[in-house]
Amino acid sequence: MSTRRLLTGVVASAAAVAAVTGAVYAFRSSVPVLSLGVLYLFAVLPIAVFFGRAFAVAVALASMLAFNFFFLPPVHTFTLLDRRDWLALVVYLVVALVVSDLASRARRRAGEAEQRGREEALLAALSVALLQGGRIEDELGRVEESTASVLGVPAVRIELGEPSAGGPSVLALRAAGRTVGALRIEDGAPDPVARDRFLPALASLLAVAVERDRLEREAIEAERLRLSDQVKTAILRAVSHDLRSPLTAIRVAAESLSSPSVTLSDDDRKRQLETVRHESARLDRLVANLLDLSRLQTGYSEPRREVVSAEELVAQALAELGWDERIRTELPPAPLLLEVDSAQVERALVNLLENALRFSPPESSVLVRVAAEDGEAVLAVLDRGPGIPPGDADRIFEPFQQLASDDGGRRAGRGTGLGLAIVRGFAEANGGRAWAEPGPGGGASFAVAFPLVPSPAGVER
Amino acid sequence: MTEAPTVLVVEDEPQILRALETTLRGAGYEVRTAATGEDALRQAALGLPDAVVLDLVLPGKSGREVCRELREWSQVPVLVLSAVGEEREKVAALDAGADDYVTKPFGIEELLARLRAVLRRALPATEPVIEIGELRIDLEGRAVYRGGEFVPTTKHEFGILRLLALNEGKLLTHRAILREVWGPAYQTESHYLHVYVSQLRRKLEPDPARPRYLLTEPGAGYRLVDPTARVG
Repeated sequence: MSTRRLLTGVVASAAAVAAVTGAVYAFRSSVPVLSLGVLYLFAVLPIAVFFGRAFAVAVALASMLAFNFFFLPPVHTFTLLDRRDWLALVVYLVVALVVSDLASRARRRAGEAEQRGREEALLAALSVALLQGGRIEDELGRVEESTASVLGVPAVRIELGEPSAGGPSVLALRAAGRTVGALRIEDGAPDPVARDRFLPALASLLAVAVERDRLEREAIEAERLRLSDQVKTAILRAVSHDLRSPLTAIRVAAESLSSPSVTLSDDDRKRQLETVRHESARLDRLVANLLDLSRLQTGYSEPRREVVSAEELVAQALAELGWDERIRTELPPAPLLLEVDSAQVERALVNLLENALRFSPPESSVLVRVAAEDGEAVLAVLDRGPGIPPGDADRIFEPFQQLASDDGGRRAGRGTGLGLAIVRGFAEANGGRAWAEPGPGGGASFAVAFPLVPSPAGVER
Repeated sequence: MTEAPTVLVVEDEPQILRALETTLRGAGYEVRTAATGEDALRQAALGLPDAVVLDLVLPGKSGREVCRELREWSQVPVLVLSAVGEEREKVAALDAGADDYVTKPFGIEELLARLRAVLRRALPATEPVIEIGELRIDLEGRAVYRGGEFVPTTKHEFGILRLLALNEGKLLTHRAILREVWGPAYQTESHYLHVYVSQLRRKLEPDPARPRYLLTEPGAGYRLVDPTARVG
């Protein structure tokens, strides 16, 4: 009991005895003084209820003494003449003991009910937090805090799973015959009643939450697998479409050369043969792209870097595409040197050019511009196509991005979207970068840039 | 047909378009080309071709939409170029009025045969009695004979047979047959159709398990063919 409460008890007790003594004094002329002794019960009762047995007994004794001293003959002495006075004293004492006992029991009940209430409120709050989808790890801190306050100890720690170490301060959390975890009490002894009542409930709740966490993780994993299946299906669809377009052109052109129902002029035969050659090369590039992408994604594309000039790379890319007459070039006055894997950067350029040709109107040209900017060689491909939708400039470099706006197969056919992913992959593998922006006069500009290597000294211009 | 029939080829892949154009010209057709659905509709409006070869996957207006818009004012035969994976789009185009399809990558003999077939069907057929192989279908007398022998048919069986016979060789979708024979409210009730087609095969086919007249195009529909004369 605190000093403050002790002091309050002493003051209240003295005041109660004094008040009743005053009242007896006031009534003593009109009522036989002996029957007024019963008024002291008004002092004993409230003190017993509010301050417990010790104060009640003290007040009973004090009341008896005060009554004896002030009112019972011989007045102003503590001598008891009459045996009846002893009886009165015993009655006060018994009343004081019984009432204070009843009161303290009631107080204990109230305290216990309050404790239970706290435990239940905690469990309710915990179940709400855990079942509303909060992750159990995120809630543990709060659970530990509340548990410590319920058990009446400064701090506890909850470990999920099999406890790492035993000991007297480690309490197992068991539910349905399984160990859910352990409660480690850092300091102090827990209230045994609260411990035995609260911990099983806490354990059950944690078991439910742990189980729910596990199911949720399984669901997330299943969803991930489903998505990756979807992606694979989309890839297969797109790749099969991309393979089929050149195949269709090759088959039509090749069969027309030998069909009895088709008569071709020499020029037409050349055209058909040209289609076969051109589309075979395109098929080959598509297969190479698939391989490149899988190598990039698995990290098997270590570049073999060597010093090479930017225009050499452009020339190689143009040769690969068969010198398409729609492509124009713009080169810097002096050659720019880079240190890159020339095969990889050539493939990146071919992909950029193919992309530009594919999205440009048939008669418009595509420009390849090589320039030095801020210590970098920038190789840009500018087209007159429809341009890039705002906000998509970065997204289109992700693999299979052209599939994203699949509207019933209508646009799913516009290529696999492998090319740009490979451009970025190879650019970054070679210490460069790749980006897209609106072209200066409409259309789009796709560019790769690599750090410049200084030209050797003493080159004559 | 005295002069060369005109074919409008609609295909956005330039290499396929070029190979098709050269091939069809070599096969004796007058060829016009379009790379988009919009261009195709414009060209058809300027001068109707005798047939349209239409790719399903086009930028802008899809093949199905082109087909539907064409059908609003013209019965020009349409041959659809489709690919595996585009079955739904293909059936939608057929529902919208396309006459037949070939699947990429197609052989040119198949393409030329289908093209000849759709061009031939475009000629008006007015005879009241249609003969297909051993079958004789009397449209006015509402009677069917197999090898000269009368075959009793129910109202719906005859309705299906009549529709397929009038479009001999042409692929008709489930939806189209149901719409014509049962009415628009029934066009998704394809289980009726399966039942009646099985019954018809029992009555008409020499071996109903190996149909030769009433052929199934899986996932698309049915066509009635003359087994004694291959298409083309």
